[in-house]
Amino acid sequence: MSSERITAFVTRRPWVVAGVMLVTSIIIVAMVAVPSLWPAEAPFLNGVRVDTDPENMLDHDEPVRVFHDRMKKTLSLYDMLVVGVVNNENPNGVFNAASLGRIHALATYAKSLKGEALGLDDPRAGVIGVDLIAPSTVDNIEPGGLGEVRFEWLMKDPPKTDEEALAVRDKAARLPFLEGTLVSEDGKAVALYIPLSSKDLSYEVSAKLKAKIAELGGDDEYHITGLPVAEDTFGVEMFIQMGISAPMAMLVIFLLLLFFFRKLTLIISPMIVAIVSVIGTMGALIITGNTVHIMSSMIPIFIMPIAVLDSIHILSDFFDRYQQTRDRKKTITAVMADLHMPMLYTSLTSAAGFASLALTPIPPVQVFGVFVSLGIMLAWVLTITFIPAYVMFLPERTLANFGAKNHEDEENTANATLVGRILRMSGAFTNSHARFIVAGALLLAAVSVYGISQIQINDNPTRWFKKTHEIRIADKVLNEHFAGTYMAYLALTPGEGRQESLSDYTEGMFARLDAKAGKEAGDVPEYAAVAAEAKKQLGTLVAGVETKTALLDAWETYARKKYDDAGVGEDIAWDDLIAFIDGERQRDEIFKQPEVLRYMARLQEALLATGVVGKSNSLADLVKTVHRELFEGKEAYYRIPDSARAVAECLITYQGGHRPNDLWHFVTPDYRTSSLWIQLNSGDNRDMSAVVASLDDFVAKNPPPMGLETRWFGLTYINVIWQEKMVSGMLQAFLGSFLVVFLMMTILYRSALWGILSMIPLTLTVGLSYGVIGLIGKDYDMPVAVLSSLSLGLAVDFAIHFLSRTRALYEKYGHWAATSPHVFGEPARAITRNVLVIAIGFLPLLAAPLLPYVTVGFFLAAILAVSGAATLLLLPALIHLGEPMLFPKTRPRALACQRGTCIIAALAFAALVAVNVHQFMGLGINSLAGTAIAAMVAWMGGCWIVGRIYRCGLDPIDDEQ
Amino acid sequence: MKTSLVGLLIAIAALWTAPVFAQDLSVGEIVKKTNHAVYYQGKDGRARVKMTITDSQGRTRTREFTILRLNTDTRDEEQKFYVYFHRPADVREMVFMVWKHVGGDDDRWLYLPALDVVKRIAASDERTSFVGSDFFYEDVSGRGLDEDTHELVDTTNNYYVLKNTPKDPSAVEFDSYTMYIHKATFIPVKVEYEKNGTVYRVSEALKVEDIQGHKTVTKSRMKDLNSGSETVLEYASVSYDVGLPEAIFTERYLRKAPRKYLE
Repeated sequence: MSSERITAFVTRRPWVVAGVMLVTSIIIVAMVAVPSLWPAEAPFLNGVRVDTDPENMLDHDEPVRVFHDRMKKTLSLYDMLVVGVVNNENPNGVFNAASLGRIHALATYAKSLKGEALGLDDPRAGVIGVDLIAPSTVDNIEPGGLGEVRFEWLMKDPPKTDEEALAVRDKAARLPFLEGTLVSEDGKAVALYIPLSSKDLSYEVSAKLKAKIAELGGDDEYHITGLPVAEDTFGVEMFIQMGISAPMAMLVIFLLLLFFFRKLTLIISPMIVAIVSVIGTMGALIITGNTVHIMSSMIPIFIMPIAVLDSIHILSDFFDRYQQTRDRKKTITAVMADLHMPMLYTSLTSAAGFASLALTPIPPVQVFGVFVSLGIMLAWVLTITFIPAYVMFLPERTLANFGAKNHEDEENTANATLVGRILRMSGAFTNSHARFIVAGALLLAAVSVYGISQIQINDNPTRWFKKTHEIRIADKVLNEHFAGTYMAYLALTPGEGRQESLSDYTEGMFARLDAKAGKEAGDVPEYAAVAAEAKKQLGTLVAGVETKTALLDAWETYARKKYDDAGVGEDIAWDDLIAFIDGERQRDEIFKQPEVLRYMARLQEALLATGVVGKSNSLADLVKTVHRELFEGKEAYYRIPDSARAVAECLITYQGGHRPNDLWHFVTPDYRTSSLWIQLNSGDNRDMSAVVASLDDFVAKNPPPMGLETRWFGLTYINVIWQEKMVSGMLQAFLGSFLVVFLMMTILYRSALWGILSMIPLTLTVGLSYGVIGLIGKDYDMPVAVLSSLSLGLAVDFAIHFLSRTRALYEKYGHWAATSPHVFGEPARAITRNVLVIAIGFLPLLAAPLLPYVTVGFFLAAILAVSGAATLLLLPALIHLGEPMLFPKTRPRALACQRGTCIIAALAFAALVAVNVHQFMGLGINSLAGTAIAAMVAWMGGCWIVGRIYRCGLDPIDDEQ
Repeated sequence: MKTSLVGLLIAIAALWTAPVFAQDLSVGEIVKKTNHAVYYQGKDGRARVKMTITDSQGRTRTREFTILRLNTDTRDEEQKFYVYFHRPADVREMVFMVWKHVGGDDDRWLYLPALDVVKRIAASDERTSFVGSDFFYEDVSGRGLDEDTHELVDTTNNYYVLKNTPKDPSAVEFDSYTMYIHKATFIPVKVEYEKNGTVYRVSEALKVEDIQGHKTVTKSRMKDLNSGSETVLEYASVSYDVGLPEAIFTERYLRKAPRKYLE
């Protein structure tokens, strides 16, 4: 259906349009509200599901997440709430009888928060009591009297005196596991680590803890932090933002529109378009079962400005023309015909910009991109149908005073306003100082390039909160006192491909068997004969098995039988042999090997040297500590003993305490996988990346024993991975959409030159906004990354409107000098109105409680200002300078006839194919180049064929009109 | 006058109730007989034990040790234990020794051969893990009868159900534990430990055999419902009245195991 027929239809039957829109909106709202409010009534529908888990920035089956989940399960690791307790009144901090008494009570209470206490059916769901770290739930191990080692609860009962309280501090400070973790390094604060069976419970648990803390009273300060709390809090604030900031923005836009058009009834229409677009898009998002994530919660903010953008152009034009005809139908029909192409193209380009986000490898960003582009197209449909229909609802008499009395009048009054005067002056300025403007733009571009080179890629979910937020305060206080509240883990596993062959193995094993025979000869005279017999048996067994495990199993079965049948004396020898077989199996328990543990300890030191790692806890620390305590607590014995057996003895001694299973957080029972618990004092991805780099460096310089391989996991590390994916993904998505938009522009204007021209303002805008980010040292984080798409979408809109109107007016006036003043009339005013409405409209976001929204609000305003200025200053300057090239006296008939345009389009197309192929198939550079060249050849072939079909004669431009 | 009257009333009450319990037993007697059946049968005893620890993920670890026990009085009180580890190979020759003192702290020693140290172990309580298993040291050597108050809460056809409440609640992690004691053998078939009204730890006798006229538990299991872990003990080659000399229950024999008695 052509645009005229659409306009004709909607102006004839405005009620149909309004009715369909209203009914659809009501259905969508119902489809969201019913399952959200009464989930039982509509099990087949999806309600609102909020997802604030940054982990979900990556797909569930992303390798890093799969590994993270597996390791968490294998090592029984849980997400933790960290409760820090500080006392600034007492010189000894919390180490006084009263404070520790309260901490004791809080820990006991925290332990009880599971099952029924939280209203859960599973009695074990909730706080994992056995793994809770608090003074009253951990062991102290220390040398007792002479030749004695003592195990006791660190703080079994609340201390009765302050001296006892200080004793608790001193005991904990001796234990590397507790110092900096449970007890602060300055000996003033205590932190409780409360593991949860599921992150979802963190809000409820922390609320209950807060209530208990209030009940306990006292002069202690409590800080609750940890990623789970941050996530839950974020969810709450996200809704506050959506409930307050977005409507606020809408209100401001409304007031600005009122200011510009002074017609309340008329300007309600863009607001309706915006609201219905948001309802439709968010509704579609929820109905299709997508979660409301930190990204998708920003969809309304992105859709609103773009939705009102086209409406403002319509209103602006309508405002201008109405008094010429005083017929709303004629006026709106003329306006729609005028704006049809620019509106379609601005919508398509904006939508393409956001749709390109679907190419990023980050699911929430994909969802965001797809739905914003959906919303933009929805807004376009509503704009071309509902706005004209709405105009028809307005009685002609209410419009009597609308707009300027006549065109000349309007021009004169408008030019008399401040905005009008400035625009007129700038119009003249672009002609008189074209070279100066272009030079200025080039200078800015150079500065931008420098700024972009300075960009710091970094993110930190905790920093999404403002500095004054309790989570940020807790974060600051706790990381000052303790080793760190950000957790990362480093898994160590034996490398693959180090399997020795069975025959090599048996050879080595025989040597060990003989050595043992020599040792046992004195004690067990029967052993030599038994060993010889067993060795012979092994010779027959080895033929029937394939693996070492199977061999040892078969051998042991044989030896067990011999042991059962053996007489006195001989049975001891057989038992020795069975032990030998068991020992052979244990040779695989690499994390009992001293060299491995020592390597681990050295690696920890290297990590500590980064300054970001406050502390790391490992199996090596555990062994060293027990070893020291077994030797009277002397510092010289704080080391890894010299044999695997000695290590095993330290470990079994450790397991004689109250928390034997703590060991399994650091190593698996087969001693084949170990994990270091690393406490970072910063959650910045940049810092985590530095730690990762320092590990890589260490491993490169110090090849690990046993071919050990290292692999990171933990939330802090996952954040780094999704950020890396986001940065490269966004760059490619931007490149892709840039090329799409360029191709669209080239096709729209049937000229590569015009295509390039229309891309200039957005290129400068994007460059300048990222340049500024680099120059002011603002981290390139998630919200900043998304802004590139928004800039692309908005900046090109202005260029399209400006250039389309310029071309139309040029045809009327014939040369630029005469065209320019008209371009700087109504078209420039529409663009300026748009810039102001949207830029100012989104300033309320600066008051949002969460920083990503603030960032978006600030840069949205900046982007609009820059792209508006680039459009209104740089484009006319370039047109002024390039008039002969841009408006040639002759023009080939078809797009394909223009050789230059065709070649450039082919190049752009090839690059586009390359970007997409790379994104989707992950092809390397070589196959990429091949694909790209193939695409280019195909396009050029197309050009050539089309060129042959059409007769590409050069027609005088006048013939076209 | 008044006190003697009360005394008289108590005496009468005792006389009245005595016939009722004649066929049954007093709580004190049940407790004593149970204690005897579990820890004091024979003059001495020896067993080779296989311990299998299965964690909540189903991963197992095994340990094997020989346990030697000697009663050093006839009042079912003083005892000595000598636990020698055979497996895993890397803790072979490790020895854990206890001199049990009812009414006082036990003496405990640990010999670690590779580190070549003998340590006395002092612990604030005996409710720490026995070599990483779900059993506590106290489960291995026995809990003093005077540490709890005992109450017969039920008598069924086969069982006495005894509720035991610690006299010093701060010394233990449970609020109480309930024993289901088999009437004929006095073997506690099941013991449930409670905290805040929830059973969180359960011990069960899975197999009872007659060995040299003594009813003996030869397979038992301890489940920790909080951690989801469980430990099974299987007793092989149990024998009583072996004739263990008291001399081997000394520090000297920690380093030089009396292997003759261990196989």
